[in-house]
Amino acid sequence: MIRIDGVLVSPGEGGVYGERMLQGYRVWDPRRSKLAALYAKGGGRDLEPWMRILYLGAANGTTVSHVADYAACVYAVEFAPRPMQDLIEVARRRTNVVPIMADATRPAAYAPLVEAVDMVIQDVAQPDQAGIALANLPFLKPDGVYILMLKARSVDVRADPEAVIAAAVRALEAGGLVVQAATRLEPFHRDHAAIVCTRQ
Amino acid sequence: MQHYWFGDVEEGGACTPAEGDVEALAERLDRLRISMASFVPLAWEDAVACGVVADRREYLDRLRALCIRRAEETIAAYYRQGDIELLQMVRMLDETDTVINLLTERATEWYIVRNPQFSRKYRAIGAKKMLSIMKKDRSSPLARLAGEIERLAAERTRLMREVSARADAVAPNCSALVGGLVAARLVSRAGGLAPLARLPASTIQVLGAENALFTHLRSGTPPPKHGIIFQHRRVHNAPRGTRGRVARVLAAKLAIAARIDCYRGELSPAFLETAQRRIDDAAGVA
Repeated sequence: MIRIDGVLVSPGEGGVYGERMLQGYRVWDPRRSKLAALYAKGGGRDLEPWMRILYLGAANGTTVSHVADYAACVYAVEFAPRPMQDLIEVARRRTNVVPIMADATRPAAYAPLVEAVDMVIQDVAQPDQAGIALANLPFLKPDGVYILMLKARSVDVRADPEAVIAAAVRALEAGGLVVQAATRLEPFHRDHAAIVCTRQ
Repeated sequence: MQHYWFGDVEEGGACTPAEGDVEALAERLDRLRISMASFVPLAWEDAVACGVVADRREYLDRLRALCIRRAEETIAAYYRQGDIELLQMVRMLDETDTVINLLTERATEWYIVRNPQFSRKYRAIGAKKMLSIMKKDRSSPLARLAGEIERLAAERTRLMREVSARADAVAPNCSALVGGLVAARLVSRAGGLAPLARLPASTIQVLGAENALFTHLRSGTPPPKHGIIFQHRRVHNAPRGTRGRVARVLAAKLAIAARIDCYRGELSPAFLETAQRRIDDAAGVA
């Protein structure tokens, strides 16, 4: 991962969403991207040039574009039509992005398209986020890493975020994952946590 | 056997490539039914063994072309549903209303500064009249702006007719019951025709009165009798005592109408006649 004076950047063609450039590199803002926030807090697993990545909840493809700058290829799954239009534009310019319009809760629909990956990044605003992670586990290589961006408020707006995170960790471990760390993303994102898991 | 986008792979590694161009591949994908229980993720090398692609670069390019094509088709099909554009039209209409009101208010304040003896009190000057008065003040940029606001208001009227016509086409039965504009507002508030068709009548009855409804649920104030459907003449012309009943009956018939619109998609004169009679009965009109 490249940092210039402590600022996380990624190598690639700029102008995707009006991001700032620094010495020819694209600034990856932790305030805009949860994954960048996780790296800013010192967590996560570094992206490597050989990595194949499955990204669930790709939205407009802003974070996806940075991930694609580092990794070999990114399978970007998004369900909503409006953000998908932007994601397709990103995929046209970045030839290692495969945009898949599908529902992350139904992996069978995109199973014929996705190969075994080294990392899954999940960022979906859904109630059953741990369940989605377990449903998408077949795509993860045995030595792969699963990064779940937990929106505590999407699970239950009224519950204490800490309790929601603990419940998600329990559900993931019950599903056979080993939780390496659960990192709160404050001050960059409120009531969010990144849960990094591996298989046994 | 595992089914992948480029073909079928047997346990032993034997592979049958999928025939045809991007279109054929997309159609085949739509037909595939995968069970995740016995699923093994694909290995791109199988596609090479299959003779579909020569190398990794070609593999990714063909897969991307297929995925982009499918996504574009899904998006296009989604936007082709008439109610999606209707949603934007209704929201644009409401925003235009807000903007016209704001601009007229501001322009009036400006006019009063230029004409200290002017007052709207006791004179019942509507927004339209106000604009034409302001247009006469030739020496000021205010006159030009007032002209622009008038043009925007004319555009708003045109848009309103188009919304109504579009609602007639998208939701013919709802439009026949409550008029195109009110039907369009209901569709917009529900988020589309299909979501509207799935709402219970009791929800349709109070669509647009969410504030009153949640205040009622929170602190036990009287529940709202009607939301958007208040704009229907049978509801707002009904005497206070029967207004709730009319709203309830109208909402019940609207729920049925929305389902006919969504799942059958054509005008149903038989339904409309009985529904209209029932609504008139509730309103106590012979």
